[in-house]
Amino acid sequence: MSSLTLSKGSNLSLTKADPGLRKAMIGLGWDPRSTAGEQFDLDASALLVRADGKVRSNDDFIFYNQLSSKDGSIVHQGDNRTGEGEGDDEQILIDLDAVAADIAKIVIVVSIDQAEARRQNFGQVRDAFCRVVNQETDNEVVRYDLTEDAAAETCMIFAEIYRNGGEWKFRAVGQGYASGLRGVATDFGIVLD
Amino acid sequence: MAGLTLTKGSNLSLTKTDPGLNKVLVGLGWDPRTTTGDAFDLDASALLLGADGKVRSSADFIFYNQPAAADGSVVHQGDNRSGEGDGDDEVIAIELSAVGADVERIVFVVSIDQADTRRQNFGQVRSAYCRVVNRESDVEVVRYDLSEDAAPETCMIFSELYRHNGEWKFKAVGQGYATGLAGVAADFGVHLG
Repeated sequence: MSSLTLSKGSNLSLTKADPGLRKAMIGLGWDPRSTAGEQFDLDASALLVRADGKVRSNDDFIFYNQLSSKDGSIVHQGDNRTGEGEGDDEQILIDLDAVAADIAKIVIVVSIDQAEARRQNFGQVRDAFCRVVNQETDNEVVRYDLTEDAAAETCMIFAEIYRNGGEWKFRAVGQGYASGLRGVATDFGIVLD
Repeated sequence: MAGLTLTKGSNLSLTKTDPGLNKVLVGLGWDPRTTTGDAFDLDASALLLGADGKVRSSADFIFYNQPAAADGSVVHQGDNRSGEGDGDDEVIAIELSAVGADVERIVFVVSIDQADTRRQNFGQVRSAYCRVVNRESDVEVVRYDLSEDAAPETCMIFSELYRHNGEWKFKAVGQGYATGLAGVAADFGVHLG
């Protein structure tokens, strides 16, 4: 099954495309910078969120400084700071069966580190994309072209994986976040120093 | 007519709002040097790239020593070595309908000839700019102030025209290139003598 190419602003349920995710892989990729200036350091992150829209604790924020959730349901494969390497440069693996019962959704965020100071946005990065793969079927559920369709953004809530009845479903969000990763985390209840 | 100010990284469709758009020009202008020292010799260049991100042959590098693409789709109107003259001092004219079907992107570069030996950069040049104009309506699509915003650079990928989903789009790049025009050309696959 070919993946859906998400256009900016689209927000849709893919239940027919991929009913029942159990193991999801979030992939983030981009090309290293060939022009003069600081490297593009893109980051994939995930937040485990309750039904009330907040995390239970700071443990529920999976990112470059905290690579796995306490229950091991979400594991970040490591920070890539330049985009060096083919294919996905960062990956987050999610075992949905292991996610605690009080978590209603997992929010997936992509952002550019130090975007303000470096005056960077996704449009300046070559071939930046993020995608969700159903690891059991190897089906790419969605791929989003950050370079083309999130050009002016520096941080974006890419997608949500949420409980629906007895299953996990996927929702493509693709909406920018003006206050960056810090802003996203804070809004979901993470306490940052 | 004032052009749109695009932030670096942003893109906009040229043909979505104007499907008949065909003739575009890229203009480069600057003031001649009034202070003592070597003249500022700015150069506009273009590279026609295939889907692989490389030129098809060295004939796809349009610059002062090779002013016309083989199919006539891109024509450099001549080298200006001092900035003498009002308005655009160098112009590259593009006819989109004549661009080969296998060309996916046209990259526009502005550079300073002999910048290293002359120890010059864009910031030293007075009123240096580059712009894109719709030749049919005379509407300026975008203008970029090189003197102000590219000050420490000597060579810059200014912008790109690229095909996307059947449209021609413009992308504001504005990123410096540390290895100069020779470096840009080599990176895009041009074999230099």
